[in-house]
Parts: sequence; C-alpha cells; structure tokens
Amino acid sequence: MLGRLRRGRRTIRPRRHIKPAFAQPCTPIRRDERNDVALETGRTRLLISGTVLILGFAVVGVRLVNIALFQDALEPRAAHAPHASELRMGRADIVDRNGEILATTLQTASLFANPRKILDADEAAHLLVSTLPGLREAEIAAKLKSNRGFVWLKRNLSPRQQWDIIKLGIPGVEFQSAETRVYPHGPLAAHVLGYVDIDNKGLAGVEKSFDTALRSNAAPIALTMDVRLQHLLRIELMAAMSTHRAIGATGIILDARHGDVMAMTSLPDFDPNAQGRASDNQRFNRATLGVYELGSTFKIFTTAMALDYGVVSMEDGYDATKPIRVSRFTIRDYHAKKRWLSVPEIFMYSSNIGSAKMARDVGGDAQREFLSQLGLLSPAPIELPEVGTPLTPKPWRPINTMTIGYGHGLAVSPLQLAVGVSSVVNGGILNRPTLIHRQPESEASNPPPRGDRVMSEETSQDLRRLMRLVVAKGTGGKAAAPGYLVGGKTGTAEKARRQGYNRRSLISSFVGAFPMTDPRYVVLVVLDEPQGTTKTHGFATGGWVAAPVVSRIVEHAAPLLGVGPTDEQAPAVLRQLDIELKPEGRRLASY
Amino acid sequence: MASRLNSRNPHFLPRLWRLNWTLVILLLLISSIGFAMLYSAAGGNWEPWASRQSMRLGVGVVLMIVVALIGVRIWMRAAYFVYAGALALLVAVEAFGAVRMGAQRWIDLKVILFQPSEVMKIALVLALARYFHSLNIEDISRPQYLLVPLLLVGAPVALVIRQPDLGTALLLLIGGGAMFFLAGIRLWKFLVLFVGILVAAPTAWPFLRPYQQDRVLTFLSPERDPLGAGYNLLQSKIALGSGGMLGRGFLQGTQSHLSFLPEKHTDFIFTMLAEEFGLFGGLGLMGLYVLVLLYGVAISIRSQSQFGRLVGMGVTVAFFLYVFINIAMVMGVVPVVGVPLPLISYGGTAMVTLLGGFGLLMSIHVDRDVRMGRYGEPRDD
Repeated sequence: MLGRLRRGRRTIRPRRHIKPAFAQPCTPIRRDERNDVALETGRTRLLISGTVLILGFAVVGVRLVNIALFQDALEPRAAHAPHASELRMGRADIVDRNGEILATTLQTASLFANPRKILDADEAAHLLVSTLPGLREAEIAAKLKSNRGFVWLKRNLSPRQQWDIIKLGIPGVEFQSAETRVYPHGPLAAHVLGYVDIDNKGLAGVEKSFDTALRSNAAPIALTMDVRLQHLLRIELMAAMSTHRAIGATGIILDARHGDVMAMTSLPDFDPNAQGRASDNQRFNRATLGVYELGSTFKIFTTAMALDYGVVSMEDGYDATKPIRVSRFTIRDYHAKKRWLSVPEIFMYSSNIGSAKMARDVGGDAQREFLSQLGLLSPAPIELPEVGTPLTPKPWRPINTMTIGYGHGLAVSPLQLAVGVSSVVNGGILNRPTLIHRQPESEASNPPPRGDRVMSEETSQDLRRLMRLVVAKGTGGKAAAPGYLVGGKTGTAEKARRQGYNRRSLISSFVGAFPMTDPRYVVLVVLDEPQGTTKTHGFATGGWVAAPVVSRIVEHAAPLLGVGPTDEQAPAVLRQLDIELKPEGRRLASY
Repeated sequence: MASRLNSRNPHFLPRLWRLNWTLVILLLLISSIGFAMLYSAAGGNWEPWASRQSMRLGVGVVLMIVVALIGVRIWMRAAYFVYAGALALLVAVEAFGAVRMGAQRWIDLKVILFQPSEVMKIALVLALARYFHSLNIEDISRPQYLLVPLLLVGAPVALVIRQPDLGTALLLLIGGGAMFFLAGIRLWKFLVLFVGILVAAPTAWPFLRPYQQDRVLTFLSPERDPLGAGYNLLQSKIALGSGGMLGRGFLQGTQSHLSFLPEKHTDFIFTMLAEEFGLFGGLGLMGLYVLVLLYGVAISIRSQSQFGRLVGMGVTVAFFLYVFINIAMVMGVVPVVGVPLPLISYGGTAMVTLLGGFGLLMSIHVDRDVRMGRYGEPRDD
C-alpha cells in the first residue's frame, strides 16, 4: 500500500507541471475499451446499489405503516389507552321515598406523614394541633419523631381542614384521598341502612343486601322509608324506653295495603358513621332479626282463624270462669272476668282461656296452615340480611296449639307480626313486605304485586271491628288517637327464662292500625322489659306502656300520611265498626 | 485559462456558487426536524440537547462547505492520510480512550468528546475509493489485489470490535463491502463470503459478549424479556402504534414524555417522532432521507471519475446504513444496535462526520467533470 502511495505521488508530481497541456476543453473524449468496461460495470453496480438502498427504505416504510396502523389489532391497545378519563363513581346513594338522602359517599382526605421527611417534629406537631384541635400534641410529636416512613395522623378531614393544613406547608405531611360513606341522619335508620367497612363494602342492612348494585350503579336506591315517620317513631320509642327504663324497643310503621315499610327502628341503635364503636346489642336489629313470643297480639290471628274457618261466630263464646289445666300447664286470664265470654269479649279483655279454647277447637293442623299462610312460620321476606327465623314448637302438640292461641310457644319477629296484622285488617290480602320504593311513574305500568288472599273479607271486617273495640272499650284504650279511629291489640308476654317464664321481665307491645274504617297503616310498638311507673300505677303491660306510644305516633303521623280525621261517632262509622255486646252470653254459659 | 479552469477545477468563489445548495437546504431541513424532536424530548426545552446540537450543526455545516470547496483531486491525494489519521485515533482510543457507558469509544478532548470510529466510516470510504480507483478492471479481479483493501477494512473493524462496538463494526464492514461491490468485484466472491459468514456465525456465537447475545435473542423474540432486554423494543413499538396516522401532536407523545421510551433523544428518536407526528410524520422524514439518497446516487452516477463515483456512493451508502439500521431497529426489523439517526439524534461526532461526508459529495458534484488518472493526475485521453 505504501509502495503504491509513493509511486502515485511520484507519478503525479511531474504530470502536474504539464497539466494545462491536457486540459483542452474541446478535445474529444476517447476511452479505451478497458475503461469502458470498467465504467459500465461501475455504473451498473451503482444503479443496483441505489436500487437496493431505495428498496431498503421501502421495506422500512412498509413496516412503519404496518406497525402504526395495523399492529393495533395484535398489540393490546388497551394497555396504553388512557384509563384516567373514566370518572370513578363512588358508591351510590340511598334515599328515602321522598328523595331525602340517607346514605351518600363523600371524597375526603386523610392526613398522614412521613416522619423521615419531617424537619422539626415538635414544630410540625404544634402547627398541626393548632389547626386540628382534636389531636393531642404530645401524641402527634411522638408519631412524627418515630423512625417509620408512614404514620396516620387523622382520617377524613373536611376540605376546609385539608386546605388549612396545605397552607401550613409542612414538608412530609401528605394526604391520601378516599371515599367515605356518610349517613347524614346518623343513627336514624341505622338498622335498615346498615353500614360499610373501611373499604366501603356493605356489612349490614341495605348496604349489604344491595352491595353489588350500590357499587356498580350510580343511580341511588330509593327506600320505602319516610325520614319524617322514622324520626317520629324513633323519638317516641326513645321517650317510652327511657320513661319505662326498658332495655330495648322496636317499632314498625307498615303500609297495610302495599307492604311498604314506612319506618322501622330498633333501640338501642348506633351511629353507622362510627359503626366500629357500636356494641353487638346496638347492632342487633330487634325488628327483623329478633324473634319474640309476642303474647296477646297473637289473639288477632287466633280469632281471625277461628272466624274464617267458621269454628266460631261473633255471637259465640267460651266459658272463662276457671283456668284451664293441661297436664302440668295452667292457662289463666290476666284480666280475669271469671264468666262466660263472647268472642268480642274474649278479644277485648284479652282472655287467654277463651283464645286457647278457640285455638283448640280449630285444631293444630289448621292452625299451622293458617299461620303459615300469614308468613309467621318462615323468615320474613324482607330485603335485609338480618332476618330471624321463627321458633316453632317441635312437635306441635295440642298444648302448643293452645298456648300459641294467645301468643306463647311461637316466637316471631316484630316485622312478621306487623305484616300478618296488615293482612288481617286490609281485607285479607297478604302483601310481601318491602323496603324498596317503586317509583310512582313506573307504578302504572308495573303495579305492585297483588298479594295472596289469606282470609275472607268478612273475617277481615270482623277483626277491624274487634280491634277497634279493644281501643274503644278494652285493654288498648290508651292507644286512641281522636279522629283517627285507631284499632289494635295489646300484648304482654313474659320473657322465657331457662325454666318457665319470668313474671317481671315482659315484652309489652301494641299493634294498631288506622283508620279502622279502611286501615291504611299498621303501627307496631314493642318494648323490651319495660318497668311500670307511678303514672301507670306500676303496670308495665302493653296497654299501659306501648299503647300510648302508638297513640302519639298516629296523632303525628296521620297528618303526614294524608289521613284526615273523621268523626268517630258518625252513624256510618258506628254502623261499620260498632259491636253490640249482648248479655245473652250468660245464658249460654249455663249450659 | 480562467474560463477553462472554471469548468474543470474552479477556484474558491465560483466553487461556492456551484455548490449543490438544494442538498444543503435539504440537510438543514432534516436537521431542523432534529432540533424540534430534541426540543420535545427535553419536555419543551432548548436545554440540554437542542441548543448544543445546533452548535454542532453550525460546526458541521462549516466543515461541509470547507470540504466541498476543496477540489476532489486534493481529496484523492489526501485519502490515505485521512485514513491513517483515523486509524491512529482508533489506536489512541484503544490506548487511552474515555470509558462511557461500559465502552471505550470516546476520546476526551476536555471540551468535546468524540468518537474516532465515526470518523473512520468516512475515512475508510476515502481510502477504499482511492485504492480501487488506482486499479484497472483486470486487476480488480485478481485475488492478490484484494489483500490491501481487506486489510484497510479489517484493521479498523478489529479495533472497533475491541471497544466494544459491534454496531459500528458492522457498519464499517457493510460499508466496505458495498465499496467492494461498487468497484466491480466478481459477485461469486461475495457469495463465497456470505456462505462463509453463515457457516462461521454459529462458531462465533460463543465469542459474542453476553449483552450482544442478549440483543440477538431479544431481536428474535422481543417478548422473551419484556422488562429487561426487550423493553426498549416493546416500548418503541407501543409508541409507534400509539401515534397512529397523524400522531398525538408535537410535545404530546405519552411514551416519550412519560419516560417509557429509553434513549428517546438518541437512538430511539424516530419512535418519538412517529408518536408525535404519526405515520405521515415518519414517512415524511423518510421521504426527505430518500431525497438526500437520490441526490447522492445521482451525483455519484454523474461523476466522471471512479474515485468520485466510489466516494460519492460510499458516503451515500454510509448515510443510508445509518438511516436504515436506525429506523429498522426501532421497528424491530433488525436487532438493536447503537446507530444514531443521522442529523436528528443527539450526538456530535456522527453529525459532524456525516456533514463532512456530504461535503465530499458536494466536492464531487462540483468536480463531476474532472477526470483523473490512476494516481489522481488529470487525464484527458
């Protein structure tokens, strides 16, 4: 190579001097053959190379088109599609039948700190506590001085608090945004609504039974509840509970014609906003999960059953002079009249003896069938996870038939009782109870399912008169709400203990309906272990402690529900509801 | 006399007029696209890349014009010296080069870092052109005359492989091979070589460094290691796909601005362009490159001297290899090798060297009618 280089140089130099001689512009160019071949080869190869280069670009270009336009089908475009544009919806609201918000979801911020980033823990703690007075300075300072990378300082700040803390500008103090379930009415409908855990997963009540719908659907769920009635019911029950030092109470307002649960409460209750602090007793839903021997209120069913099966008529009666002894049990009357009693008298004086005999005459099988039709032998079909299963006697002996006749030996939930009573008073149709409100616009096209007929209209009409009689002249006088034609039945049951019954601890209840000319609402009030007061002369029975609560509820609820007062002495009303108590019964007793 | 000189070997000012200014404007246009992409890669900032790249462009353009103003005959005489200088620099790199990113490729001149292997690409073209120019067509077919050019290619390739820089070594090999082809070496010799490489490749496999083996395997199946060696390629393909027809818009590329895309300002800058300006942007840039290429081929064909033809085509091939391998690489057509996109990627030496190469091309264009003898003497036979 170097040789060539040298030779080349040597050769070039002399030629340079004579260069001008060769540069004749008009000299015709003559090529020897060898050079021709070389140039030809060179040109061909050059063109080939050029073509190859362009082809190379063509290949890459085709590939680019392929990737940019058609690769999408093969490569998962979703992996790089912007997900952020999808607005994350929170858990849906729960509203009452009038659209009042019962449960909603708020975006809140929770405050945490990274102590490793905190410059001056004491100063930071001081600033934080001055902004959030609920915090303890020493505790916060200790947290901020810890060696960890993450400490919670306070959860669920209000936007105002968050803004204040941002303004403090403490490095290392940060926020975690979260969704928080908020129940604006606090404990008002705690047992119906239920509650959620910290991850907003429904754990109880409607929150649990409609968990999936609430998560996936942005539309609120409307309940049949009415906040105003709920408030009324809860206030009255709390007052009664405190007056009578009861350990618990429950109340239900039910639409007798449709099965809508208008209000339902269980006391003691809790604040679902802070469900973690609630005790098991507070969480317990007495209205649906608790089952109780509800006592004399069951005589409604016994009487209806006997009348409907034609075992007795309103004119018949039973001898109630002596307690009944069946094997080791003795059935006696609380308000003993010690005489022959007609069916209305048995009902109005709440005679255990008469009801037991009535049930005995109907018979165990027919009784089971009847109670089963009223839904009293199976759990209430309500949209709540907390539903109690009735306690039924096994086997169902004749003695059970008799005790169940006056409400002992069969434990049902208060809701079941209210539903059963509504079917007795509404003309004999059993409606499935519901918490889910059907929107009025869809009501026309989708009418609420008509329930099953469980007794004749005549029986229902008879029972209306009997229940009205109890309030007008019998044990339930204190349930009267002038103008609203309240009818009902008292119930006082001794709570079962390990052996037998405890005379001191009672379940006192009153189930009423109004107006009895055409009952639209059923009101049930149950007090658990109420104590008598001087005002009640020491009595703690349903007629003394529960009936007045129903009276006050009806007085306040009727105007809200659009039920106007009527003249209770109007001839039409009296014709429909009055029962003439015939003294001829005594004669029958002499037989 | 003056008029005669003008036609064959014009002096300074007339030469300046006869430069191929369309080609200069084309190159400046491509460089402007490069600035825009570097501006975008920095998140809408001139710093740190676009500003420094513009200074390099200035240096490169000045160099290009100076090179173009020098007559082709002088270049022919200087060819071996340029080559010797570049080879010396490569040896210097081997001896006391700066190590960056695990490879000893750079010479640190305190002010600038530069890569002698880039300079070698042009120097090799010059030297081979000079050599083949001096052979006549019969000599070319004789094997003993092939020894010298093989050595001319082999020495820098060996040095570059030692750096290690497989990509540049391959570029030198392919560029050199193209020169052989253009010079008229018989085709069956290429065939023999090709078959030889195919046979030798499996035996060479164990000698490749693990990262090189990795790259080849990754090329064969990028999904093999999506978070490791295949990451670059997958993200790049995603970016190309995300651009679609019209792209996401200037400064809007998510893959690049969210830093999914590695080396977005250097080797993978084409991906960013394709994401922000879409298929049309990518094809448009390729169109500009093709225009440059056509200019190169046209100038080469038009040249009356074998030297000019070989240098012109050598520079054109080198330029093509940059563009082709870079774009093919980001699209997964060829394995990942570190080759910048000419005039667009951030990087000084490649840009200055290539502009120098275009200077040669323009010099050849100006001197297209100059005929030279075997050793560079003017010839008019």
